[in-house]
Amino acid sequence: MATEKVQVVVVGGGATGTGILRDLAMRGISALLVEQGDLAHGTSSRFHGLLHSGGRYAVKDQEAAKECLEENMILRRIASDCVEPTGGLFAALPEDDPAYAEKWVKACAESGIKTEELNVKELLKKYPVLSPRITKAYSTPDAAVDGFRLLWSNVNSARRYGAKMVTYHKLSAVSRANGAITGVELTNTLNGEITSVECQMVINAAGAWAGEVATMAGLEIHMIKDKGTLLAFNHRLTNQVVNRLRPPGDADIFVPHGTITLLGTTSIAVEDPNCTKPSEIEVENMLNIGRETMPNIDNYRIIRAFAGVRPLYQANKGAGGRAVTRNFALIDHEQKDGLKGLVSIVGGKFTTYRLMAEKTVDLAAKKLGNNTPCRTAEEPLTQPVTSEMLERGKKVFGVPGYKKAAERLGDAYGKVVEKAEQDPSMRRMFCECELVSASEIDYVAKDGDSKTLSDIRRKTRMGMGTCQGIFCSYRTLGALGNNPQFTVGHREFITEFLQNRWRGIRPVLWGQQLRETQLSTGIFCSLFGMERMNDE
Amino acid sequence: MNKKTDVLVIGAGLSGMMAAARAAQSGKKVTLLTKGMGTLSLTSGCIDLWGYEVDNPKQPCGNPFTQIQKVVEQNPGHPYAKVYDVLKESLTFFQDICDKDGLTYRDNGGENWLLPTAVGTLRPTYLAPASMAVKDLNKVKQIVVAGFDELKDFYPEVLVTNLKKSKLLRPDCELTVAHLKSGWKKLYATSLAHRLEQPEGQQEAIRQLKPLIKPGAIVLFPPALGERRDIDVAGLISKGLGCSVYEVTNLPPALPGQRLQDLFLKYLKNQGVTVILSSTVTGAQVAGNRCSHVTAEGAGKTFTISAQTYILATGSFVGGGFDSKPGQIEETIFGLPINTGDGKWASGEFLSLKGHPFNRFGIDVNNRLQPVDGQSKVILENVLVTGANLSGSEFSIEKCGNGVALASGFKAGKLAGEVSR
Repeated sequence: MATEKVQVVVVGGGATGTGILRDLAMRGISALLVEQGDLAHGTSSRFHGLLHSGGRYAVKDQEAAKECLEENMILRRIASDCVEPTGGLFAALPEDDPAYAEKWVKACAESGIKTEELNVKELLKKYPVLSPRITKAYSTPDAAVDGFRLLWSNVNSARRYGAKMVTYHKLSAVSRANGAITGVELTNTLNGEITSVECQMVINAAGAWAGEVATMAGLEIHMIKDKGTLLAFNHRLTNQVVNRLRPPGDADIFVPHGTITLLGTTSIAVEDPNCTKPSEIEVENMLNIGRETMPNIDNYRIIRAFAGVRPLYQANKGAGGRAVTRNFALIDHEQKDGLKGLVSIVGGKFTTYRLMAEKTVDLAAKKLGNNTPCRTAEEPLTQPVTSEMLERGKKVFGVPGYKKAAERLGDAYGKVVEKAEQDPSMRRMFCECELVSASEIDYVAKDGDSKTLSDIRRKTRMGMGTCQGIFCSYRTLGALGNNPQFTVGHREFITEFLQNRWRGIRPVLWGQQLRETQLSTGIFCSLFGMERMNDE
Repeated sequence: MNKKTDVLVIGAGLSGMMAAARAAQSGKKVTLLTKGMGTLSLTSGCIDLWGYEVDNPKQPCGNPFTQIQKVVEQNPGHPYAKVYDVLKESLTFFQDICDKDGLTYRDNGGENWLLPTAVGTLRPTYLAPASMAVKDLNKVKQIVVAGFDELKDFYPEVLVTNLKKSKLLRPDCELTVAHLKSGWKKLYATSLAHRLEQPEGQQEAIRQLKPLIKPGAIVLFPPALGERRDIDVAGLISKGLGCSVYEVTNLPPALPGQRLQDLFLKYLKNQGVTVILSSTVTGAQVAGNRCSHVTAEGAGKTFTISAQTYILATGSFVGGGFDSKPGQIEETIFGLPINTGDGKWASGEFLSLKGHPFNRFGIDVNNRLQPVDGQSKVILENVLVTGANLSGSEFSIEKCGNGVALASGFKAGKLAGEVSR
């Protein structure tokens, strides 16, 4: 059994956890982040990727709206390569209450959110996909954010400050002595190996799994788990985020990301935080509502459906927890339950993850006797790729692949370009939809954090395009021959890869999607006989 | 512009081309209209009839006819139940056409072959072109897998890793990976095939492989041993190496399927069949229970074609014969009803022995391949349905797609040939 020693163990590799890890590391507190799956495997990669302007919350909760706005501006500054400053618009239809629009304009002004009324005629000319029934529209400073990259940027920055992070490790026990946390035990979910970690503090940032973590420490936190389903369209329907100008509800946000658009979301209470299966009924309901804003939405191909579980927290007034705002809550279990060394951060929104981390680490640092102030709002997460390196990338990967790779890889771009410069076979594009090179796949496969094909898929976006991974999954398997962890169990790898894609495709299986799915059964079963392949 | 023909075949997959060939043999004026290049280039190039034992679906079957006999007895809804009477005849017809062209399709003495794929699995198939028909795999002492570093879609290590696990091989069979260098920057299956048609390309491959070959060896190549059928690339390399050389099944584009497609199109043209490429049938005129003509579009023109018999060989979803919207599936030309079983479209597991309901979706027909409704009443008497458009089989799991296509295409062509003018 391996043993380690750090000051703080952070549980949960979502936005909040990685933000906390970076903040701790920047203040000089030694920390280890533990994630049960791949980074962002929970809610932080399963949302619409909207960086809120605050407009959505302005009428109901101005404090939350202000926080969103402030954090939105900070992230544009510190994580410019993870944020696409698309801007947003709020559009009202005849059936939407005009009184709400009035209230909304006033509330935005009070919260400091800049809005501007748009000429509807011009707007429809710009975006013919929008409903001609729109009566009023306003612009807002909403933006699109790549949650997955933002999380990795946080971890990479934290690692530069000495922090540690392990994926595929589950918290399996919490040790306590004399009313204080003394350490944790981690189980590697891939091979069952156990690591014991000595620490003074555990920060529970496990999101929808926060209740499970609390139980392990012998305490109770009641999380409300709320499933939200999203649809990915294979088109950039508009260049701006589109919100419905009415009280927030289902399926009223469209967010453009690169060449696709996400439509979300639903809200269904679930018991199990692992319940991320989108249902056909949800898809149908969302399309019905989405059609109100974009009447011809059925002409656009949906490439997948997916779902995430929002961790909502209902603050218990009787307890000693210090509710920071009504949207997220920081629980000091020393005060609330008399257990020293445990802090839980629950609820909240992706947009305000950095603020949540700051508040959490303020408390943690105070308890650890550390007075270093928070600097996460000032220091950029990544250094932009230099134009010289981009030029070199262009030579080996061509246009437009070199740019896409730079966006995905950030700080690691230089290494991937160098490898391709030295070895021409590394310049081959393995995923033609997302323009992923052999060099990028090789780098990611060797980075130490990639355990399965799906991990590589998430980092490189390989197999996320329209071909749905038929060709690139096989190519990747071939290209990974040099990486021992991927040479065994080809059936298992391909099956996992395809099954993950299938979960997203099955609820939207019609039109072109069904044609291609029939083709993939032809390739994987009829040509390759993989349904009967043995791994033994 | 109006065209007139005796038999109009819509679709250039295996069933469509078989139908056109058979109808032409009866002396009919045949027109074959196709949207794309057919789906043969997406297939292995082998002819699968049935892959596994009906009672033990993990066990590859020996004689496929015994299994198909069982299917026909147990499951009258299976397309084989409609076309079993002509299955053997259609195979002979197919083999004759290929033989005349010099592209020999071999059977394995009545038993299925078990032939290696690019991922190292062994796939059961009934007929294989000589370049793929690996003989006596169980006796081979060495298997050399030849890959090309510049080729994206073939990885010898993947093949070797998995083929090694096969119990069919001799325990002492040696598997060798050969990385050949083409000297080209990028290599695609087609460009590799063209290169290997040249003597220099063959010599280069032979020179690099020769030092690795031991007595009793065979060499497995990606399915790219030439595009032309008049150059026997496999044979020439085999001669140079002094051992047998084969192609394995791989992702499209694969040349064995392509060669079969080219062969059939050439044959059909020689038989006087009018082939109209890159055209789509957009609608049909129906009077009573007969189709009077169809409307088609191609090269910017709209035209009508009238025929005595229309053969619907449009290839299910992949071929574009069926289209779908949420909760709704339609046959795109005649609006024929699609049997969707209990209404479930797909299975939860993507890869499993159960397969997927959508692959079984199709048009119900009678024994004369005419489309019928739920009460077995003929919907259109001069429309015949073939291949993947037929309801009731899961081609990807049963490995019956080619057999159903051959037999149903043959039967439709034969029936169309019997219609009097």
